[in-house]
Amino acid sequence: MHFKKLFQVLVLGGAMAGAVAASACAQANAADKAKKPPADAGTTESGGGVKGW
Amino acid sequence: MTSARRAAAEAWAFRARVEQEAALRFERLAAVVAGFDPGSPVPAMMRRAADDERRHTDLCARLAESLGTPVALDTNAELPSIAPPSLDERQAVLYEVVAACCITETESMATLTTLMAAEPDPEVRAVLHSISKDEVVHSRMGWAHLSRESVAAEVAFLGPLIPGMLAGTIDEGLFAAPPADEDAEGLLRLGVLPLAKKREVFLGTLEQVVFPGLEKFGVDPERGRRWRARAAGHG
Repeated sequence: MHFKKLFQVLVLGGAMAGAVAASACAQANAADKAKKPPADAGTTESGGGVKGW
Repeated sequence: MTSARRAAAEAWAFRARVEQEAALRFERLAAVVAGFDPGSPVPAMMRRAADDERRHTDLCARLAESLGTPVALDTNAELPSIAPPSLDERQAVLYEVVAACCITETESMATLTTLMAAEPDPEVRAVLHSISKDEVVHSRMGWAHLSRESVAAEVAFLGPLIPGMLAGTIDEGLFAAPPADEDAEGLLRLGVLPLAKKREVFLGTLEQVVFPGLEKFGVDPERGRRWRARAAGHG
């Protein structure tokens, strides 16, 4: 199946387009989590979704 | 009219409306993202995407009409945010970008690549090819925004909200039995996935593309996985 290729092209390609290296992203996010609690932790309120193809 | 032609006409008419909504959404989101992340490439990507989606709307509407279903689009349509009202503006934008791009546009790309591999009619193939070139970028801009936000802000709040996004993405009929007169080969030739294939692509894309992507950028996909397991259990 083509899922692995889609992950590479879309997810990893998107991260590159956002100019954020994946490793730096993970490290920074881990540090960020240590600094502050989730902004909306514990909420169960749900929003909607977007219909597609 | 054959059952496949009738179902395909309805599907392309629905897609025309989906593409019109996407154009409105990307225009709105581009302006907000530019306000809090001026160095981001995402707003420019979204503005180009809005133009793409308007072109896709025409392509889908023309195909629907050629199959026998004229499409009446509301040119004054407005599109409110789908985010929970408790979120602040920046969180609400992230919610909507993840729902629209990381989930829906990624799922659309999986559908398009599956359809392209199924030898559709030449006119349909041309439309699918034209749209798929753009949809790659539309999915990527969601992952680009999530990756930037995972560095600049807290994104873990999204984890419990993923099931709501997923529930709003699908049609109720996705996990139902296919119509008795479903013509799988005829549908594929006209650019529509038969129901069982649509379900397989949707679930596989969640498990192998969307959830790993969310996890990579700090959004726990566990609740999404539980939603997927429950939904698949109904199939």
